[in-house]
Amino acid sequence: MRVDDLDGTIREALHYEVAAESYCLEGLEDRIATEVAGQLPRRGLFDRLRGLLAPTRGARVGQLAIIGATAAIFLLIGLFVADRTSLFGPGGGTPRVAAAGADQVLFVMPAPGAHSVAVVGSFNDWEPTQLADKNDDGIWRVQLSLPPGRYEYAFVVDGRWWGQDPLADEYVRSFGEYNSVRYVGQVGGGA
Amino acid sequence: MSSETSRLEKVYIRGKEAEAGVYRAQDEVTLLRASLEGDAEAWGEIIARYKDAVFGLCLGFLRNRADAEDLTHDAFVRAYVNLRRYRLDKRFSTWLFTIASNLCRNRLRYRRYHPVISPPDQMEGGGDPGRAVAKEERIGKIRQTLDRLPHNYRAPLVLRYYNDLSYKEIAEVLFLQEGTVKTRIHRAKLMLKEELEKDGVTQHESG
Repeated sequence: MRVDDLDGTIREALHYEVAAESYCLEGLEDRIATEVAGQLPRRGLFDRLRGLLAPTRGARVGQLAIIGATAAIFLLIGLFVADRTSLFGPGGGTPRVAAAGADQVLFVMPAPGAHSVAVVGSFNDWEPTQLADKNDDGIWRVQLSLPPGRYEYAFVVDGRWWGQDPLADEYVRSFGEYNSVRYVGQVGGGA
Repeated sequence: MSSETSRLEKVYIRGKEAEAGVYRAQDEVTLLRASLEGDAEAWGEIIARYKDAVFGLCLGFLRNRADAEDLTHDAFVRAYVNLRRYRLDKRFSTWLFTIASNLCRNRLRYRRYHPVISPPDQMEGGGDPGRAVAKEERIGKIRQTLDRLPHNYRAPLVLRYYNDLSYKEIAEVLFLQEGTVKTRIHRAKLMLKEELEKDGVTQHESG
């Protein structure tokens, strides 16, 4: 038997079990519609920014592009000057969060006396990635290279869940616990 | 038995209708716009259209009806709350499946750190000894093997064979490279084939 001969059977098996169990979905739409009634979808940071630009009635796309390009040039000049004056440089005293590009994300966890500190999250399929305390100052670190996206994660300190990272962009609560969230390479990203 | 068969047929027909483009893009966009304005009924219609697909994904990932039911509910609530994050350049279903699969992976993670003492629910119809038909036997065996498959192999398989996503879309939903998706699906199928051959189930070709 060739592996591809299995396609039909796999498809059938999956549909079969859904057909056998989907009775529990009866009325789900009504239950959720009642639950969300009177509640509006949340406004994100991106929309608020767009909202600021949107009321410029009559503005052509070209005009917006000019405004955008000018803003980008000023931003670049600003960053260049800031870098030259080493406001955010290594001499500034604070560790750089994104040291080598937007996708280098530093995870830091102060845990003096801990035996093991790991970070688990959607970027490593919730498989622990160990942090290291190389200079024995109780601050555990690991730097990961992550593609742009939204990542949920938490620290596991000596086997205990630690879901609220002070460096996170936001927190979400699932199953009675907190998880931290970071946005990498996106609007609203602090990582 | 006959009612179960007819229900199975219905699911197939629904799948065929979806393929035929019954869910016209314009209608969906209208419903999504209305949902953005807080029209809960429009959101109810979206749920009615996608609930089987999301439930199938969750059931395939988690192999447990109660958890799949829970997370199907949560996925639709979360998608509604975050609806403004949805961009029209992506298929709505892909975005929705991303939310559902993230919730599933969270739940699997939760299970890992909070193991239950009792074994997971045996789903209805799993390995029913009363059915001696070869095809049923193959299906039953596949389902048992799916239970044992590591979830990172099972997930792409479900998205491919239940949700009919392309490799590219699966890669998007699971934050993987397209090549990794292909490899995992192929390996998962090899594992299934091995299991079936071990028990001699493949001797009986389905007719």
